[in-house]
Amino acid sequence: MRSTHHVVPPQSDPELGHYSDPPLLVLASLASGPKHGHAMIEDIDSISGTRLGPGTLYGAIARLEQQGWIEPLAPEDRRRPYRITSEGLRVLRAKLSTLAQVAQAGLKRLEPL
Amino acid sequence: MKPTRTRLLVRLYPRRWRERYGEEFEALLLDRDDGLREPINVAWSALTEHILPTYGGTMNQPVRTFGVVVRQPSAFFPIAMSLVALAIVLGHIALFGVAHEADEGAAAHLWQLLMAGQVPILAFFAIRWLPRAPRPTAWVLALQAGAALASMAPVLFFNL
Repeated sequence: MRSTHHVVPPQSDPELGHYSDPPLLVLASLASGPKHGHAMIEDIDSISGTRLGPGTLYGAIARLEQQGWIEPLAPEDRRRPYRITSEGLRVLRAKLSTLAQVAQAGLKRLEPL
Repeated sequence: MKPTRTRLLVRLYPRRWRERYGEEFEALLLDRDDGLREPINVAWSALTEHILPTYGGTMNQPVRTFGVVVRQPSAFFPIAMSLVALAIVLGHIALFGVAHEADEGAAAHLWQLLMAGQVPILAFFAIRWLPRAPRPTAWVLALQAGAALASMAPVLFFNL
């Protein structure tokens, strides 16, 4: 089997670590408190390096709201903040635990390479 | 982003989506920088919303019966085109009889145009309506297929 040791040098290109799962990123952003769209885009950029487009963001917001994982608050000067629901927190915790488990196992397997 | 541009971008979304998210989405776009990347993202998302709509939050899912679906232009145009094609074939047979000509003639070309022209409309109808209302859309597709087969039947039967 070929080793990936020389194929993908660690941290060689920030784009390689790009992660985009808009609903999960929105949930993670709202875990620190209610935010409106613009604040979510900036926060997601700062925590993951992923800059969501406005269309992608609202696609995720609509689906999360439909699932009852986030809920709208009263608008503030046309900007509507959203907050994560208790069900959303439960889902976020479960998804992040799985991700952490995968990341831990994956990084451990990369160690000898 | 400029107000005229944001209004135009929001207009790309389906009406029901705009009623629920339009105002706050426009406010978000006004906060964003001008450039090409974000308008492209919005246009793509609006197209996706037309094909696979979300019925989030307070948006009410509309009633989509057979009657509602069949009244869509992309539903009845192919049926009408097939029926016109059938009328052309039957009219040609009534006037000139079953004649096997070397040159296909205007009626044959018109029939071919009507049959081929409905294919993209049928594809659009299926892509747009099957995810929204699968059962009524399947009935309309069956009706469209029936009309197309009816217009093809005399051509195949008389080997025109």
